[in-house]
Amino acid sequence: MAEYLLEMRNIVKEFGGVRALNGIDIKLKAGECAGLCGENGAGKSTLMKVLSAVYPHGTWDGEIIWDGKPLQAQSIRETEAAGIVIIHQELMLVPELSVAENIFLGNEITLPGGRMDYAAMNRRAEELLKELNINDVNVVLPVKQYGGGHQQLIEIAKALNKNARLLILDEPSSSLTAAEIKVLLNIIHSLKAKGVTCVYISHKLDEVAEICDTIVTIRDGQHIATTPMAEMNIDRIIAQMVGREMTQLYPQREHTPGEVIFEARNVTCYDADNPERKRVDNISFQLRKGEVLGIAGLVGAGRTELVSAIFGAYPGPSEAEVYLNGVKLDTSTPVKAIRNGLAMVPEDRKHHGIVPDLGVGHNMTLTVLQDFARASRIDQEAELSTIRQEIKSVKLKTSSPFLPITGLSGGNQQKAVLSKMLLTKPKILILDEPTRGVDVGAKFEIYQLIFNLAKEGMSIIMVSSELAEVLGISDRVLVIGEGKLRGDFVNDNLSQETVLAAALDQAH
Amino acid sequence: MKFNLKQLFTQYKMLALLIAVALIWAFFSYHTDGGFVTPRNLSNLMRQMAITGIVACGMSLVIIAGEIDLSVGSLLGLLGGVAAVLDVTHHLPLPLTLIVVLVVGLVIGLFNGYLTAYLGIPSFIVGLGGMLAYRGIVLGVTGGTTIAPVSDDMVYIGQAYLSPTLGIALGFLLFVVAVYLIFAQRRSRAAHALEVAPVWRDAAKLAGLGVVLAAFVITFNSYEGIPLPVLLLLALLGIFSYVTTQTVFGRRVYSVGSNMEATRLSGINVKSIKLWIFGIMGLMCALAGLVNTARLAAGSPSAGTSGELDAIAACFIGGTSMRGGSGTVHGALIGALVMASLDNGMSMLDVDTYWQMIVKGAILTLAVWVDVSTRAGKR
Repeated sequence: MAEYLLEMRNIVKEFGGVRALNGIDIKLKAGECAGLCGENGAGKSTLMKVLSAVYPHGTWDGEIIWDGKPLQAQSIRETEAAGIVIIHQELMLVPELSVAENIFLGNEITLPGGRMDYAAMNRRAEELLKELNINDVNVVLPVKQYGGGHQQLIEIAKALNKNARLLILDEPSSSLTAAEIKVLLNIIHSLKAKGVTCVYISHKLDEVAEICDTIVTIRDGQHIATTPMAEMNIDRIIAQMVGREMTQLYPQREHTPGEVIFEARNVTCYDADNPERKRVDNISFQLRKGEVLGIAGLVGAGRTELVSAIFGAYPGPSEAEVYLNGVKLDTSTPVKAIRNGLAMVPEDRKHHGIVPDLGVGHNMTLTVLQDFARASRIDQEAELSTIRQEIKSVKLKTSSPFLPITGLSGGNQQKAVLSKMLLTKPKILILDEPTRGVDVGAKFEIYQLIFNLAKEGMSIIMVSSELAEVLGISDRVLVIGEGKLRGDFVNDNLSQETVLAAALDQAH
Repeated sequence: MKFNLKQLFTQYKMLALLIAVALIWAFFSYHTDGGFVTPRNLSNLMRQMAITGIVACGMSLVIIAGEIDLSVGSLLGLLGGVAAVLDVTHHLPLPLTLIVVLVVGLVIGLFNGYLTAYLGIPSFIVGLGGMLAYRGIVLGVTGGTTIAPVSDDMVYIGQAYLSPTLGIALGFLLFVVAVYLIFAQRRSRAAHALEVAPVWRDAAKLAGLGVVLAAFVITFNSYEGIPLPVLLLLALLGIFSYVTTQTVFGRRVYSVGSNMEATRLSGINVKSIKLWIFGIMGLMCALAGLVNTARLAAGSPSAGTSGELDAIAACFIGGTSMRGGSGTVHGALIGALVMASLDNGMSMLDVDTYWQMIVKGAILTLAVWVDVSTRAGKR
């Protein structure tokens, strides 16, 4: 057997003259877990697409040696047959099919005549899940009955069923709860013990540090370093990723909150399918001028529902009384909420944030387009100069304001969506997971932007699943658990433990 | 703007479509010994195309917004029938007939839009229901018989021509407007410190436009002049191009079709946008119905049958995306020209009706295949 299971040598991939990958070398031993780190747009996804033959052999330069032999795969089918399986950030499960049917999708066990052998598939699916120590999944139930965490595990079972020898996990934990992440990491540990090689791609560097043996960093398509984790720590990973020492993760705070200007009273959201169930149960809170209010809680606690209801965007029955400067506002629809000085950057950027067929610039002016209109005709030049200014002020990196927004990295897309809302000059800005899928450098810029806005007197509500982030930039923290307000803390050296205990209702 | 890849791509796509039209014309000219490209036939061809073109203008908005309207053929028939009944049976003066028909068209369109946008019934179903119901109403209104003869005033709409002098004047006017627009744009870009296109590029653009306008006017003038329905279609092309590229409403139509949720959360009343798109569609059906009745000089209970398919096909041939969010009105009109050219040419060649249907179906599928495959290559 070869010394290395996988060697990628001097991989170069160009898109229309632009080098996305510029000579990457990677070597992996069997049973090794490598963390692939890099900012968004560094080339991680491109590299994995080269490896899994989404870009077939011949569309890139360099060579891949797999188990001692050159691999020249033309399709994902061939790489999967070789044992290279990729699990994408967005799960590729069919919600209506059963767990077992999903695990065997494309690899069905059949009886003569093409009939599905359900007995065999269910038995094998159960074995697979047992190997992964997952005991609370019924393989005959549809996948949609299970939450994101279980679905991620089902994806892994599906990959193992393809006899994966190299498992690529692309941001596997982005929508998992802390407990689910623990299960996931345990499973990766046991896979390593069984000799399965893993490539772990994640912006959550503490997970990378915990699970990986080797850290491969790439930046701007260049291979920066391959270092054993034993010689690394999170700060050094970040330094390699951004190419400079990140002395601080959060900017200096220069704002001080003023008077109470905003109040939400008795916010209640009912489940759209089951009106008996309250997703948010009678929450009230206040917000000061120039204050950054963090909303923390576990996934599913009702944070997104709470802020959506305030903005008039909750997709079900809800009640909310919203006051600005003591005056009751009508925020029953986003149109009215924006008119009354509220703005929201939604959690799900792809489905709720960007308009894919419009360019970057036109995405930014979508809400305020009427301001550029003279007798309904858009003054396109005035619009363009506003776009240019805005691109500069949020440090959005794009070579032209007319580029399709889908071609930008997550961080830059987020800045465009943020600009769209900032152009409405809101008094209250709601940010739902503003840094999800955003790289370290852009994260810092977004934090800086939030602080600048607060300094100018804007009040900001920020929902985030990253506790460190909530504590890093909030003046005050609301903790939500199971739809109820579980805590309201001034962030004066507040500890993660206090917040987590409140979220889990362990404080009392 | 010039460096936008996507825009360049769509421009080339339009060029490819125009080349396709040229090939179709060359083919028919060869086989009819030039009979196809006589001014008389081209004039006829454009008049045939006008009705599908008018409907396609509205349909392109509907499809860009991510919806579909299958009821337009029946609605065209219904409104044409109403026009005939008002004119023939009730002897209403022409202006009154026009107003009533346009209002009825707008109201029915808004009704379709209300069902789709506010009650959440998929537009495919609303269209399917309308297709049956409106055709039923036509049969009821006309009693299943052709209503004729319509008044001379009405016939005028469908069969009159603009006098050659006026035609030339119109050509000049359009050219002057184009020159003005280009100058205004250059000045405005300079005022906002944006880069201005090189003079030769704008000059070439204007020269090209001049040649097309001249050829257009000369061709029609060597027959009887520009037909009124064609003039109407030109006006609609201007209005719709303006609305889709220059106005807030137009931008929002694309935005709604591309990602409705994101547009809603951006504080845009997406329901009202959709409501008005269907309203405009109804208005276009009214215009098309009027022109159709005028052209045939009669209200026929089967008028507009499968007109929705021609209009939808025109949009797709013209590069409008099936999933919404992209497309152009001029593309849809070139699509309509392709369909009309095929109809006209094959009729001249005495091709059997069944062959005509097969060829048109094949061309539609082929065009969309080319569109889809070039799109996929771009991603």
